[in-house]
Amino acid sequence: MTQVGIVGSGFMAETHANAYGAIDDATVAAIASPNTADAFVRRSGLDATTYRSAEALMDNAGVDVVDVCSPTPTHRPVVEAAAERGIDVFCEKPIAASLEDAHAISNAADGAGISLMIGHVLRFFPQYERINGVVSDGGVGAPGVARARRLAPFPDWGSDDWYADRDQSGGVLVDLAIHDLDFLRWAIGDVDRVFARRSVWERGEHGHVVLRFENGAVGYVEASWGLPSGHELTSSFEIAGDGGLLELDSDDTTVETMTEGGAQTATSPVCSDGYRRQLEAFLESIRSGTEPPVTAADAIETLRLSIAANRSAEENRPVALEEVVA
Amino acid sequence: MSASRSGENSDDTVRIGILSTAHLHAEAYANQLESIDGATLVGVADTDDSRGRTFAASHGVDLLEPSSLLEAVDAVAVCAPNAEHRTWAERAAEAGVHVLSEKPLAPEVTDARAIVDACEAAGVRLGVAMPLRFSLPVRKAKAELEAGVVGALQNITGTNRGRMPGGWFVDPDAAGGGAVMDHTVHIVDVVHWLTGERVEAVYVETATRFHDIRVEDVNLLSMTLADGTQFSLDGSWSKPETWDFWGDATLSLVGTDATVEVDCFAQKLKHTDSNEDGTGIDSIYWGDDPNGGLIEDFVEAAREDRPPETTGQEGVEAVAVVEAAYESADRGEVVEVDYRREPSS
Repeated sequence: MTQVGIVGSGFMAETHANAYGAIDDATVAAIASPNTADAFVRRSGLDATTYRSAEALMDNAGVDVVDVCSPTPTHRPVVEAAAERGIDVFCEKPIAASLEDAHAISNAADGAGISLMIGHVLRFFPQYERINGVVSDGGVGAPGVARARRLAPFPDWGSDDWYADRDQSGGVLVDLAIHDLDFLRWAIGDVDRVFARRSVWERGEHGHVVLRFENGAVGYVEASWGLPSGHELTSSFEIAGDGGLLELDSDDTTVETMTEGGAQTATSPVCSDGYRRQLEAFLESIRSGTEPPVTAADAIETLRLSIAANRSAEENRPVALEEVVA
Repeated sequence: MSASRSGENSDDTVRIGILSTAHLHAEAYANQLESIDGATLVGVADTDDSRGRTFAASHGVDLLEPSSLLEAVDAVAVCAPNAEHRTWAERAAEAGVHVLSEKPLAPEVTDARAIVDACEAAGVRLGVAMPLRFSLPVRKAKAELEAGVVGALQNITGTNRGRMPGGWFVDPDAAGGGAVMDHTVHIVDVVHWLTGERVEAVYVETATRFHDIRVEDVNLLSMTLADGTQFSLDGSWSKPETWDFWGDATLSLVGTDATVEVDCFAQKLKHTDSNEDGTGIDSIYWGDDPNGGLIEDFVEAAREDRPPETTGQEGVEAVAVVEAAYESADRGEVVEVDYRREPSS
């Protein structure tokens, strides 16, 4: 039984805790969070010890794996602490908000010989895995234009409102667009240049990125923290090539229960969702001693796209990926 | 059947001619003219005799010499390839006939302005075929915007994808370009109309990825409006020939208070034709045809001698955005749209 310690007690920590709950050979044994670890454990019904810091968790809980679900700027110190202690790490995306921190994380893991996987979860969503499969089997021919949209309300659940601090979160192009940027890079290949625009307002941010891939294809990624609060995230994906077209819409309601005064919907029930699948893949890579399916190097390449996009938006010009180095 | 051909001609009936049937929309406009009161299709003129004759026969009218047709009509719809719009429009203006030009008004701003100038000088009305202004979903979105529902507008996302049209559309001399020329102006015009703002700066990625043609079939624009609103548009010819519909026209308006998503052609039936020579799965649009509003407005404008919904000047502004897009493609950088009015000759 793999003992997991989760660092963080927010939305993503809860998502991961639920995913481990469905994995037979892993258990969440400890939670670290400065103020709300106890409340998190009570709320989620976990049988886990609690700590006020990641270091205290690593030194006392005896876990095999640390799962980092805390705010982006904490990723580096937490992964470095785990590396010092020789504990394997699963770390949420983005790997970091800056390339400097991302490289430090990667180097720390490499130096210590620990296993490190970054949570680019879209690759493990069944629908996106199928898209990648169809595309790599030539189902759309040579890709021509890909289009991804991901619209959400402003993330007001962050502790101390850390998402609103762009230096910490990187804003919508680093935190949210990175899902689709990573997926496109995975499905289509390396990117030559990007052009992006971004609009920031009180409790909102919206951006789009136009990508030119090295193989000549063009991509479009749009990400929003602009939906009114309370709305579900909505996303869509489309890829057209010289041999076909593939379209995905997130409106995949499978069960709708209509009652007086409203309706309840069940969207995409699956036995094993993307979060569970990515964590299982990580645990399996540790067991088999193989490289995790999404490495720090992968995450750094994707982060370069987000950083190039922010730079493009700031400077109002296309930014070549070769310009973006640590 | 229109009033004049049923022998009840009144002074109010607007006599319309079609100049060139090269554009598919000639068919749509002729059908609209047949279905509305107060207008009649008198005849067609064409540079291609056999094409013109076939078209005329199928609509029960005559193929005429341009000069004879222009003498017999109050107004014309110019459905020629883009590069021929100016010649036809100037000829119509000279004859004192109102003009509805297929979009874009011309491949280049200089020619588009020349058309505006010719019509102004001749005292005839000039309209540009922008049917999306008559799309009921777009009109509903306009009402939401005007009611202040979205708050301060921050982002507009548009799509206007389609199949590769072939024919003269992919001949750079006749069309003036590819997907950028064909599929930029509809959404740009509608955004100009919805917001009252003009596109200020354009960056584009173009490519030829789907077909063996001499023009671009990928058209991805990233723009800003004068008030800073960001605006992206995918106008690629990225829909396969075997797709279930001709393409799409969508808009997403993101504001500080609300997001409004518009699909102009969501009202569709899904038709599976499993007959022996059947066409498989197709979608059939059943909503109100925006071309209906377009033609009614133009006929009324001609009758009342007032500007049509989309004026020549607005047509020029959309062409200016297209020109900036091609310049951006050439230079690989952001290009400011040049709306300065320069002499056309």
